[in-house]
Amino acid sequence: MDYSVALQIFFSGLNLGSIYTALGLGFFVVYSVTRVLNLAQGEFVMLGGMLTVSFYTMGIPLVPSILLAVVITALAGAGLYRFIIYPARKSSDVTKVFLTLGFAFVIEGIALRVWGWEFRSLPAFFNTPSIQLWEATIFGQTPWVIGVTLLMVVGLFLFFGRTIQGKALRACANEPLGARMMGISIERMALFSFTMAAGLGAVVGTLITPLTMTSYSMGLPLTAKGVLAAFVGGITRAEGVILGGLIFGMIEAITAGLIPGGYHSVIAPAILVLIFLFRCRGILVIAGRG
Amino acid sequence: MSPVIKAIKEIPKKVTSANWQHLVIGLFAILMLTIPLGAGTYPNTVMIDIGFYSIVTMGLILLMGFAGQISLGHAALFGCGAYASAILTTNYNLPPWPALFLAATITGAIAAIIGRLMFRLHGLILAGVTLALNLVFFYLVSSLVDLTGGAMGMMNIPPLSLGRFTSQDLLFNYYLLWIIAILLLVFSLNLANSRAGRALRALNTHAGGSEDAAQVLGVDIMKCKIWVFVLSAVYASIAGSIYAHYTRVIEPGTFMLQFSALVALMAIIGGRSSPWGAFLGAGLIVGIRQLLREFMPVLVGGLTGSYELIAYGIILVLALLFLPQGLVPIVQKVAPKKRAIVS
Repeated sequence: MDYSVALQIFFSGLNLGSIYTALGLGFFVVYSVTRVLNLAQGEFVMLGGMLTVSFYTMGIPLVPSILLAVVITALAGAGLYRFIIYPARKSSDVTKVFLTLGFAFVIEGIALRVWGWEFRSLPAFFNTPSIQLWEATIFGQTPWVIGVTLLMVVGLFLFFGRTIQGKALRACANEPLGARMMGISIERMALFSFTMAAGLGAVVGTLITPLTMTSYSMGLPLTAKGVLAAFVGGITRAEGVILGGLIFGMIEAITAGLIPGGYHSVIAPAILVLIFLFRCRGILVIAGRG
Repeated sequence: MSPVIKAIKEIPKKVTSANWQHLVIGLFAILMLTIPLGAGTYPNTVMIDIGFYSIVTMGLILLMGFAGQISLGHAALFGCGAYASAILTTNYNLPPWPALFLAATITGAIAAIIGRLMFRLHGLILAGVTLALNLVFFYLVSSLVDLTGGAMGMMNIPPLSLGRFTSQDLLFNYYLLWIIAILLLVFSLNLANSRAGRALRALNTHAGGSEDAAQVLGVDIMKCKIWVFVLSAVYASIAGSIYAHYTRVIEPGTFMLQFSALVALMAIIGGRSSPWGAFLGAGLIVGIRQLLREFMPVLVGGLTGSYELIAYGIILVLALLFLPQGLVPIVQKVAPKKRAIVS
């Protein structure tokens, strides 16, 4: 294989891998604390992208637009927990999953009402021009995607590992009863995790809008991809989600680079589903660390 | 006492649970088969829609209500039937009827293979995998351009025909669909009361069953789950095949996650404890959709699709919060015997 092609595939894989990792982390944050598979996560991503585009086209500069979008989406996440999941906190996990699905429908409907069915896009952040790196051409948005995802990952690790709030969240995830006995409000932690996941989702939404355009109906497909990325590496551990996301992105980039036609979009998720079906506890288990 | 009087006196005794069920099915069948005679084109089209959703939802109810397994990917099975029928009839010139049966066989076989791998998983993880499988199916039919026409879809699918009637005729479609729906209903109800059905209900952890207990009692749980999944896939496939021959044009977008989510919503709102829930759920949701399409453009304007989505979401949330067993138990209360409608 040509050296430049390989490099191109590598960067494209890193880009996609970052996106899938960031998508998967949203599921991880909610799932690890509350054991809820949040089917509205993709809608938060869509909402983040759409809101940023709206604010940006209103003439608000990029950074405040993104911040506004993230705050509004995070509030939507808090609303999902407070008004829909919290009243049903005693019911089964399956009920909660379908509650998030109901919320996803509502968000999608509102988005369709507000923005219509058109696809929207943004220029690369701060109009970053494409970069020539050795023989490969990198789209201006790619460094932003990789950089912000990296920040997100480092931030999450610091948060979960170093801060009291993060440790309390982990306590709820590992031992809810014990956490309650230590005076941690599980409901408050759950509210926090939903808010945080929605905010993270919104950041992903703004990151991908310059790459893949955003429309009201892309929430559920994004949910499916994020779930896949999170599951395949093992949703119970952040390392698993990161690994899963990167593998997803790399496989997609490699198949896109080597196989002509639209087959890459089917091959990558198909391989991931197969990996998952044969190793149901995630890739980290293969590596012997699960 | 003459035998005739004796027989008349015994009628109330004989109308017990099983008979009630037969009576209700009979009345339902008569009702459904007489509706189109009085109704115009528009109600019949809506009823055909309800028929499609009902059949797919019934399959999902078997899976969710009896085996306690969640699927968020039933659109893929529906699409599998539709695409198999379309490909067999247009690319391979097979007549529609054998194509329908072959499509159901193919979909069932695929379901068996996937089920064998998938049912090692449980609960939410399984739901996530079915969601991903639906995505894979969508991309698969979108990318196999030579076989499926890709994103453009397939056109000129031949209609189903019986004698001089073809499925281009609305009434023929109506009867075909609803006769099949009622036959599947009878089959589902019988299944629920059979040994296999009881074994399946024993698996449903959401309804107080226990997989471990079932296994101890000698139920091969893996086999049971696979069989009910195959059955569920065959229901969806039959509906898909009829859909392909009815619309004669199919495109990948129809079989995306939104459809799966909608079918799951119908199953929950209708009620997962009985196949009747399929008709209640599909009827209610399609009914509300039609009402919104009628009135919302007049009242507020804008894209009606948005109000439909919002309404679906609100109904699903309200149903889960206040009516977790769906509409079936309400209808059950109206019925005289406890086991009258429900298995």
